[in-house]
Amino acid sequence: MLTELETTLLGIMMMVIMLGMGASMTPRDFLIAFRKPKGILVGLVSQFAVMPFLGFLLAVLLGLPPALVVGLLLIACMPGGTTSNIFAYFSKGVLALSIMMTTVSTMAAVVMVPVLLSFFGGLAGVGADYVIPPGNVAQILAVLLVPTMLGMILRRMNPNVGATVELIGSFMGVVVILFLIISWVPRNYQLLLDTPAPIYAATIGIGLIGMLFGYWVARGLGQDTNRARTISLETGIQNGPLAVLVITLSFTAAQQQAVLLIPVLYSLFIVLSSTAVMLWYRRSATREALARDAAKVIQDA
Amino acid sequence: MNNIAPDRPWLAAYGSDISPMLAPSPYANLAELVQDACTKFARNKAFTCVVPNGMSGTHTFAQVGKLSDEFASFLRHECGLKRGARVAVQLPNGLAYPVAAFGAFKAGCVLVNTNPLYTASEMTHQFNDAGVEVLVISDMFTDKLAEVIPQTGIRHVVLAGVPEFFPRVPEFIIRSVQKVWTRSLPPLPKLGVPVLRIREALRKGRAHPKVTDWDVLKPNDLALLQYTGGTTGVAKGAMLSHGNILANLEQVRAMGSHHMTGKDCVLTALPVYHIFAFTANLMTFFALGARNILVPSPRPVQNIQRALENYPVTWITGVNTLFNGLMNEEWFAAYPPKTLTAAIAGGTALHGAVAERWQKITGTRVAEGYGLTESSPLVTFNPLEQPMRAGSIGVPVPGTEVALVDDNADPVDDGQPGELLVKGPQIMLGYWNRPDDTAKTVQNGWLFTGDVATMDEDGYLRIVDRKKDMVLVSGFNVYPNEVEDCLAKLPTVLEAAVVGTPDAKSGEAVRAYVVRNPDQPDELTKQDVIAHCRKYLAAYKVPRSVIIRDELPKSPIGKILRKDLKAEVRAEFAGKV
Repeated sequence: MLTELETTLLGIMMMVIMLGMGASMTPRDFLIAFRKPKGILVGLVSQFAVMPFLGFLLAVLLGLPPALVVGLLLIACMPGGTTSNIFAYFSKGVLALSIMMTTVSTMAAVVMVPVLLSFFGGLAGVGADYVIPPGNVAQILAVLLVPTMLGMILRRMNPNVGATVELIGSFMGVVVILFLIISWVPRNYQLLLDTPAPIYAATIGIGLIGMLFGYWVARGLGQDTNRARTISLETGIQNGPLAVLVITLSFTAAQQQAVLLIPVLYSLFIVLSSTAVMLWYRRSATREALARDAAKVIQDA
Repeated sequence: MNNIAPDRPWLAAYGSDISPMLAPSPYANLAELVQDACTKFARNKAFTCVVPNGMSGTHTFAQVGKLSDEFASFLRHECGLKRGARVAVQLPNGLAYPVAAFGAFKAGCVLVNTNPLYTASEMTHQFNDAGVEVLVISDMFTDKLAEVIPQTGIRHVVLAGVPEFFPRVPEFIIRSVQKVWTRSLPPLPKLGVPVLRIREALRKGRAHPKVTDWDVLKPNDLALLQYTGGTTGVAKGAMLSHGNILANLEQVRAMGSHHMTGKDCVLTALPVYHIFAFTANLMTFFALGARNILVPSPRPVQNIQRALENYPVTWITGVNTLFNGLMNEEWFAAYPPKTLTAAIAGGTALHGAVAERWQKITGTRVAEGYGLTESSPLVTFNPLEQPMRAGSIGVPVPGTEVALVDDNADPVDDGQPGELLVKGPQIMLGYWNRPDDTAKTVQNGWLFTGDVATMDEDGYLRIVDRKKDMVLVSGFNVYPNEVEDCLAKLPTVLEAAVVGTPDAKSGEAVRAYVVRNPDQPDELTKQDVIAHCRKYLAAYKVPRSVIIRDELPKSPIGKILRKDLKAEVRAEFAGKV
């Protein structure tokens, strides 16, 4: 895991990133996100219905031991992670929708996560009491929303400052992604060697299958491709650090080690798979934009 | 020819807002106009250039005045140019453009607007034809200079970048991105003539006394050599005088005066080296004390998003493809700019469906105008007070006479199609060094536009087609536009162009070039195209041959180039018929 210093550093970088993300937007972007509020709702469905069920299904199919089932379920029930916004931005998705989904799902997590966990935990026979500390939820939201708003204000005041902050933020986004991968692998490579295949399947699968389902659930519920891609990333990318926090608060030190395995592995692999998926989505978005640019006049029905 | 009666049925459309009498320009030349605006509106923002990531730079009117003075001094004293010398400006929209163009006017020089995307051979032709002595060029396109400069009489080269005159940090960032990421700044070749960056040129100009002798420039003096391809392939320079442009500015103002003020903010996404944006955006709004938002590269259309979001745009000028592109973007269609007054369309025909949708989405008008390089450019415009007439290019602007004539230059009967002739103070002096072409195009003050038009009883004009593009099938006129409109209604067709091919039996035959619409699942077949046309068109208009293409040749502003297709046809049939 990361040291205290790294966590703080990461928090600060995350704020710089969100400042940049904010500077890429105007209030109009949020109006557009709310113009089709169904998008946020669809996102919540895939976040809190599809993902936990997927987690449960994978746990049963792979026959994981109870401690790992708990870890997997926890990850599956988590709200969207803040890194999802970076990936939404880089994939040319609907950033405002991504941010709104992260915000709403994080707030809903206070109630939804304990309920979902006790339900699916009960089904899987690993029932326990979990605590989602509202203080931490508030902290996550503050780190997410305050810099976003500041970024928007900066851009409003001076477009050049806004554009510069956006550039720094997106650059920082790449740095953070690389930092997570590079700092994680060397110090955990023994863990990577010791981990058996089913656990890999579970950790990598939950993210990727989540994205796949997220996309098609969104498409099925009438979202356009760009929104569906955003919802897809939002669904697959969970708040790993929050899961780790919940575990440290809900389990004794002796139990923690085993339960932590999947969330920790997940946090690494989600960065890798999201990067790959993001690059793919970005290409599709660019292609669609160019096609739209050349498209024939849309005749009104 | 002389019996063309000045009957003006369109005056009723002017209503109470537009005076049929064209006010004379208060200026003798463009330098005076520029100087006056820079003094009167000194503190207003004149130009803001916005790149796709939202970074921008701004000139106030005072700055434009000072910098263009310096550039005029540079041209006259450092380059030793005389009045009337030609200065080519080959820049995308940006803050350097008005400095160079207005500087040239103040120096009494002739501005030669040049498309930055020209090939080396096109540049060489244009610079030699015009006798260009100083070239102001974008630093992104210097790679062609090694080939061009030795073949021309150019003695000085001035370089300007896209982020020129931006604040330091954005300028540095954009330059770094251009250097490292997009690699769009080629190394400067050795040229054998002095090469300066524009800011260095201005510094040198500053050391000399200010050029103030522009008062000798008369309305009839040459201001612009505006090159136009025409259909013959060789670009000719239309000679536009100070008086031509000044008159056209008054004409634009007469049509829009009730809707245009110094507080306006116009989106200039079309290139200002093109006569449409040069007159309608750059000069018109500058003269009013209003602000131009210059967008260097408007394609893809997302490149305009930041400009529209960050500035209170009140006017947009554009071509059909630009309006269509904007409306296909959710960020535009869902929340169009609230500040918008109206939009002006020109350059190529505005589709009725696009105009209607624009009105529905933005709640404002898109008014179509018509013009040519040879007429500075505005000839007709749709009065904003009158209800929209889809497909019409509007009525002649004040001070303009029009006539529709047949092949013998005799007026056609009312309502019949005829070649559009235009007379007015905006008509060019002629083609540069081409007396023969001039004599063919301008006769007794009438400009032969080569466009075939009809006029309804209210004086509203409609372009039927280009005369030169008409296909003559067994003595019947086929207007390619009509066939193309028909083809465009087939859902599987994205776009189409129609030209004539030589035909042993009918003289000429109709050929359609079509592009499949990728949004449609169905295949596009030649049989479908022909069956579709049979349903809606007379037999002689139905394409004899159909060619399916991935794309059609287009001009930089998105016009489909029939002349390129005709050239293909000529090559294909060479020696066959």
